[in-house]
Amino acid sequence: MALYYLYPTYRDYQLSKELSTLHGEDSANFVEKNYEKIKSARDGRIKLGLDLKGGMYVVLEVDVIKLLEDISKKKDDQLLQKILNDLRGLSDSTRGNVLDAFKAKLAENNLTLKNYYGELTDDESTIERKLNDAIDNAVDRAIGVIRNRVDRYGVAEPQIQKVGGNRIIVELPGVSNPQDVVKLLEGTALLTFHLLKEGEQEIRILKDIDKALAKLQDTSFFASNLQQTTDTTLKDKTTKTDTSKIVSKDKKDSKEKTKKDTSKISKTTKKDTNLANKTDTSNLTDTTTAQDTTQGPTPFTSLFDPELSYRYGGLVASETNIKKIEAILKKDEIKAVIPNDVIFAWSYKEIPDKGEKYKIMYILKKEPELTGSVITDARYTIDQQNNRPYVSMEMNSEGTADWARITGANINKRCAIVLDGVVYSAPVIKTKITGGNSMIEGMPSLEEAKLLAIVLQSGALPAPMRRIEERTIGPSLGEDSIRTGILSSIIALFMVALFMIVYYQFGGSVADLALLINVLFVMGIMAVFKATLTLPGIAGLILTLGMAVDTNVLIFERIREEMRTGKPLKTAIEIGYKKAFSAIIDSHLTSVITGIVLYIYGSGPIKGFAVTLLAGIGSNLFTAIVITHFIFDIMLEKGKKVSFG
Amino acid sequence: MRLFESTNINFLGKRRIFYLVSLSIIVIGLITLFIKGIPRGIDFLGGTELQIRFEKEVDVHTIRSFMDNAGYSGMEIKTMGSDKDLLLRTPIQKEGTKVSEEIQEALKKSLPDNPFQVLRIDKVGPKIGKELTQNALMAVILSLIGILIYLAFRFQFIYAVGAVVALFHDVLITISAVAIFHALIPGLGLELNSTMLAAFLTLIGFSVNDTVIIFDRIRENIKLYKNEDIENVMNKSVNATLSRTVITSGTVFLTIIVLLLFGGEVLRSFSFTFAVGIITGTYSSVFVASAIVVDWKHHLLKKGKVN
Repeated sequence: MALYYLYPTYRDYQLSKELSTLHGEDSANFVEKNYEKIKSARDGRIKLGLDLKGGMYVVLEVDVIKLLEDISKKKDDQLLQKILNDLRGLSDSTRGNVLDAFKAKLAENNLTLKNYYGELTDDESTIERKLNDAIDNAVDRAIGVIRNRVDRYGVAEPQIQKVGGNRIIVELPGVSNPQDVVKLLEGTALLTFHLLKEGEQEIRILKDIDKALAKLQDTSFFASNLQQTTDTTLKDKTTKTDTSKIVSKDKKDSKEKTKKDTSKISKTTKKDTNLANKTDTSNLTDTTTAQDTTQGPTPFTSLFDPELSYRYGGLVASETNIKKIEAILKKDEIKAVIPNDVIFAWSYKEIPDKGEKYKIMYILKKEPELTGSVITDARYTIDQQNNRPYVSMEMNSEGTADWARITGANINKRCAIVLDGVVYSAPVIKTKITGGNSMIEGMPSLEEAKLLAIVLQSGALPAPMRRIEERTIGPSLGEDSIRTGILSSIIALFMVALFMIVYYQFGGSVADLALLINVLFVMGIMAVFKATLTLPGIAGLILTLGMAVDTNVLIFERIREEMRTGKPLKTAIEIGYKKAFSAIIDSHLTSVITGIVLYIYGSGPIKGFAVTLLAGIGSNLFTAIVITHFIFDIMLEKGKKVSFG
Repeated sequence: MRLFESTNINFLGKRRIFYLVSLSIIVIGLITLFIKGIPRGIDFLGGTELQIRFEKEVDVHTIRSFMDNAGYSGMEIKTMGSDKDLLLRTPIQKEGTKVSEEIQEALKKSLPDNPFQVLRIDKVGPKIGKELTQNALMAVILSLIGILIYLAFRFQFIYAVGAVVALFHDVLITISAVAIFHALIPGLGLELNSTMLAAFLTLIGFSVNDTVIIFDRIRENIKLYKNEDIENVMNKSVNATLSRTVITSGTVFLTIIVLLLFGGEVLRSFSFTFAVGIITGTYSSVFVASAIVVDWKHHLLKKGKVN
């Protein structure tokens, strides 16, 4: 079983070795061909820690004190400023601690949270809850922004986690240019609104790319049946409308009734077109094939999934194809045919289907209509009337004027909400919005509404963040330490194994077998729990092996003792195991206590140590008590000679 | 092959001498600690640390003068392994990665014909060190309490006390050894960092393991020899487990020596600390943990209470 879980680790190692022998184009092709294999091996293998592999480890802290200042009702109050300044001297700036100290300071000055936060009707605990929510929100927002950027940067297996309420640990394996990454992590999020290139414009761009790409490639390679489906995709898409739309919140109440009606109408029309398209497919394909002769092949548009594109009303492509599409769009020959005022962006949302993840591609106007700095607030709520989630968004006066002009000129067109180049939503503008208050509806779930609100807020208020710890390990140092670490472990293990055989003869070789099984078990357990192997982890493994040797020594010495009193071998073994049991259990359980405490209180590397230690204790108990005992029993039953030196 | 079979050494009779030995080591160690101290690593101090590999060999003194000119005077600079590998460390805190950028910039300017590769950069904010210390203390205290409760439950309370005192003893002795060795051979590069912290915690685990095994035998033997003096029973138990003690401690010690010799700079603090810990952990099981139990039981006997 351990071997089963370890297989991916071995397979990944093999694949990477194969990959490293290839260069340039070849390696890209290899990745493409073996994508599935590489991916499944990657997912199941034991991950190497940053100290073994190289990479970057950053701890960011959301500045709770700054946040307390920003969200206060009376920001400029002298006393508040003084209290907050005093708090900056705190040694422990984790969130719970800061809040407690803040309340204590307020109390010293005969003040309460209410003096600076919350509504008149709120009581202290409500205000405290609200403050906590605000901090949570800021941290989540920061994590969202970081995750998005790290994903786009293309770091393999990034780990982003929240600790201590206001800290974010970011681990980026294999990153070798820390300065770039730091900028990536810390820069303020850029939120923009872009109009979509729709209808004719969109089709023309896609066709131009198709033509240019076809020129580049061997045309005979693409079968003609692919063309048909993609052309239907284009056709379908243009007839469809996105479900999300944007309306003025001010007019919402007065127009409640009419709005409901329109939504109904748009729905039924959608169904109708749906139906029409389905029944007419034969006709459609006929016409498209007829057009094909003039259009030529469509190597680019064929990368989008026709069925999903139709269902989601966009250009939907699978994860594998996204890579191809991006590569195509980077080619100079293709860039030449793309209009200058156009950018391509992918949806944040992933659509899981047919065992793959899909994303929607948007073709946007390059020049943003607005930037997120005009947004003053964004919230998500559930519409009381129809029980659907929506997001409301408020803008400052400058933004309101622009927004009114933009929405007025683009009714029934779509406007994408883009954060750091990723499209989070692309609602249809339904009315001219003059009051600055907009409502975005059509989110399928509350989760998505929440995400969109967070995205909109990140334009409103950048979370104040600070780096408090940062470690970069160059890949060569990682290699060095893995080599010395593993080499010395193997030497040590070999010496111990040799000693056991010399000292306990047959018993010793069984103990060595148990050691080997132990190593496999620990690695297997780590693979199952997707734990990371670090240098202290290797140290933990060695300690575990020390304990495994100890357990066997303990049992064997007991057996020898019993044999000395003249008992037959079989009885001696039975009694030896039985008597050694209480000592083994007690010593292992005390180690479990230390292991658990280390796991809870240790940070990064020490945690790694605790994980291997705990895994080792578990597997050791099993191998020493069950497996070796079983081997001795079998050997005795078969009448083989068993000796303990 | 057999080692230490049927020995009959009166270990506990000599416990008073060993109390003295332990105490003097701890006293000397702590005095050294207070006078000389153990250098604290960047994990505890905060600051920026760079490990750099140059293409050609460099001279530490010239690098130091370059750094002084760049505004980083008093920086700790030392070679690691070879004269091409340098470790630079400064407690100076600046916004973001500024410190490491400035250092790299200064090195590039001063040594234009000796390009280098950055192996590692650690930047630790000033608050992390305090937190790490707090967490480490918390971890040690909680493990000790956990062990105390567990052993009190499995044995008797006085045994648990003996084991925990032995653990304190081991930690103190090891700290003393680190301080003394650092004072004698500063070149070892011992420093208090999170790896050494891990070693201390491992040591606690190992020491209590050893103590528990001897206690287990005492628990068993007390039932067998009901009328004998506790000191005799304990001696019997220590002798009975002697060969396992020596073999186990010996093999683990061997493993750690291998790590100490071949494990490289990164593992050195860990292996040194743990190597000392194995010796004192083994020793303390008999001469501290068991000895305390013996003295306590004798004390009870004198008072007329038989337990």
